Amino acid sequence: MPVKCGLCDKSAILKRPKTGDALCKECFYFAFEEEIHKTIIDAKLFSRGEKVAIGASGGKDSTVLAYVLKVLNERYDYGLDLFLLSVDEGITGYRDDSLETVKRNQQQYSLPLKIVSYEELYGWTMDAIVKQVGLKNNCTFCGVFRRQALDRGAMLLNVNKIVTGHNADDIAETVIMNVLRGDIARLRRCTAITTGMEGTLPRCKPFKYTYEKEIVMYAYFKKLDYFSTECIYSPLAFRGHARTYIKDLEAIRPSSIIDIIHSGESLSIKKDVKMPTQGLCTRCQYISSHPVCKACVLLEGLNKGLPKLGIGKPHKIRKQAAEEESRKATQSQIDSVEGVHNHDNPSDSNIQGACKSCNCTKATLVDGLETKKMEGQIESNKTRTSILTNSTTKDIDF
Amino acid sequence: MCSIQEDDQFRLESKSELNTGRVCMKCQNLAVVVIRVNDAFCRECFLKYCTHKFRSAFGKSKLIRDGDAVLVAVSGGQATTALVHLIQEGLSCRAQKKLRFNPTLVYIDEGAVINESREERLKVCSKMAALFKATSFPFHIIPFEKVMKESLRYDSDSSLAGYMESLTLENSLANQLRDLLDSTSSLTAKENLQSILRRRLLISLAEKLSISKVMTGETSTHLASQLLSSISQGRGKHVSDEMSFSDGRNQAVMFVRPLREFSSKETALYNRMMSLEPCIQPTLTTKTGLGSSIDRLTQSFVATLQAGFPSTVSTIFRTGEKLSSELDKNKEDDFCIMCQSVLDTDTPESSALSATLFSQKLSSVAVPGEKMCKETSGEENCCGEGDGSCKSTNKTGSLDKEDLLPLSCYGCRLILREMSSTTCIPGNIIQEAEKRIRRSAMKSSIQGYLLEDE
Repeated sequence: MPVKCGLCDKSAILKRPKTGDALCKECFYFAFEEEIHKTIIDAKLFSRGEKVAIGASGGKDSTVLAYVLKVLNERYDYGLDLFLLSVDEGITGYRDDSLETVKRNQQQYSLPLKIVSYEELYGWTMDAIVKQVGLKNNCTFCGVFRRQALDRGAMLLNVNKIVTGHNADDIAETVIMNVLRGDIARLRRCTAITTGMEGTLPRCKPFKYTYEKEIVMYAYFKKLDYFSTECIYSPLAFRGHARTYIKDLEAIRPSSIIDIIHSGESLSIKKDVKMPTQGLCTRCQYISSHPVCKACVLLEGLNKGLPKLGIGKPHKIRKQAAEEESRKATQSQIDSVEGVHNHDNPSDSNIQGACKSCNCTKATLVDGLETKKMEGQIESNKTRTSILTNSTTKDIDF
Repeated sequence: MCSIQEDDQFRLESKSELNTGRVCMKCQNLAVVVIRVNDAFCRECFLKYCTHKFRSAFGKSKLIRDGDAVLVAVSGGQATTALVHLIQEGLSCRAQKKLRFNPTLVYIDEGAVINESREERLKVCSKMAALFKATSFPFHIIPFEKVMKESLRYDSDSSLAGYMESLTLENSLANQLRDLLDSTSSLTAKENLQSILRRRLLISLAEKLSISKVMTGETSTHLASQLLSSISQGRGKHVSDEMSFSDGRNQAVMFVRPLREFSSKETALYNRMMSLEPCIQPTLTTKTGLGSSIDRLTQSFVATLQAGFPSTVSTIFRTGEKLSSELDKNKEDDFCIMCQSVLDTDTPESSALSATLFSQKLSSVAVPGEKMCKETSGEENCCGEGDGSCKSTNKTGSLDKEDLLPLSCYGCRLILREMSSTTCIPGNIIQEAEKRIRRSAMKSSIQGYLLEDE
């Protein structure tokens, strides 16, 4: 006997993962959209006339987010200007395919699309980074760079806010992750629906209370076009354990995901626990809890050929590099006596074309390839900074 | 939200091969145990290390004073077996600096929970009694079902003959207890309920004996998985109380956890070296699969991680230490009627709690969440005169779920929602709930004349 929908007289087609209620298709759409509308209204995520960039990866979360926001914006007249913003990490066979999806979404939802690439921002694609650092730790680079890239793209679009497709499962997973890692600062802020209020652009997560399963369900029944392939470089590592745990919990008690978020929201931290203070990066002015932000450290590592710089303990790596350099300097002195110039470690001085150790002008020629990279890098660093400074002034105007 | 970047600086030591023939890190004798990757100990140094750790827990907290009466809750497992022995050693005149408190041991016979026969329960109890007698401390053995009684009437007769009699007498209580546990549908809720009730029983026993401190044997391993499990059951607010050295949620009786710096491995090794025989009892999750309950899943999750990454337990443990459960305001009715923790349901408009209620409201016509936000119905029923203690039309047991939900914390609401009926809830919880409802009705009737909003 067919089960009746809990809200109307039609026969039910699905069981809501969140509440276990049997619903028909229309009633599920209604409940799904209403809940997101409520989240937006209760948390006062938007105000009229704002420009909002949707972080779009082409995956299920962001595709559904773009669709639902467009629907709700029209239905409830939020008065928002919506944009799609994508980051091209430069991963062949993964991101280029998913960007195609985003481009189709742009057509389907008729939303303007902006794509920023790691290549133009940092001078490196993920493919190139993986070539240098290998498959371990590459996610660190990608994650750190993406966070900044989204902000910078948003600044180029001149929007007031970024929304991302993080869903309840993601947030619950992060709560558990931060407990396992003992990261008390992130544990405190990871359940906030809006972050980054004080520094750069605010980011919010309208799907904070939305189950991943329901997002998939919504996309499935609405026949939304999305890209679902795991990143070819992603090993999931430690996060994978947390993810499995969350899925197992959900199987035991479906409300677990929301329960974890409730726990995260009600945690309070002892007053005497030291917290990192947030400031600005001295190099690129991006928000950072260290004098130099993670992206700049990682980038420095990449450009100096020391990819481990931002991953292990930086001072150790720097020390090793300094030793290496002094060893090479001695070596090159010996070499220069022999008339051979070998500069493996270009520093700022030899970009101008002068060798640090012997003031010769051959340095650029010898290290042509690498120096070019450095120059490109400096350029992109300048662009990054100028985007930031520009937008800061714009920010004040609002 | 933070994305994958979190993996940075996240180095975990991996387990090295165990090689025999290592020397003790303290005295260079041949080591017999490896506590952590790099810490090998010989027998003497290991025992010294345990005793020192145990005593320093008391020294640091300065909570247990000379001559204090302390109720020691013993389950018979590895940890509490070691706990009893450590107390015994600490109090003996052999000890260099004697511990100076007066322990009373208690064993709660939870056989009724898993439907053990009377004979089996008696066998276990007599075994525990023999162990307790050997310590020469005063001791009590009480059946778990006593928690169903409105007030604990405990006669000081701790002899086994008396116990046997009481088991027969309390048979109806055992059935009530089983009905209560069976009214919840999931094993997770059953286990949670069991531990809440156990706590209540220990408190009422301690009050009866006029003891103000209860000592329990949670190890760091246990606390770490309990922390994760609590978070997964929406009890994030209470994590700090659940794992601190002293737990003052109940104003009259304080819980103390002297083994919280020990790993479960250490207690097991201690027992082995001291040739102590723990008496481990089956529980609700014995012989069930990994996914049978949240507690069970979390235990195996933490154990698996710990095996691969030896710093797991200590990291979780230290994270928990940085959390607090401070009371914002100390109102009389700010505590959950079930677990006596601070209520965590006073959340802002945009919160997981309101999102859940909204979801329930949206996708079912019955609107179960609606009523609980409204004032309870006590107002019309009470005559509004006197101290409000005149019984309203509500009689014991007539409170339904909707009445109890607003008085409980998020975690306990999860249990209550699962319950098929509230008729089995112990009378003392219902009485407390009725009192609170009457009080709030009183308050709302005089609201207009109260100058300060407490």
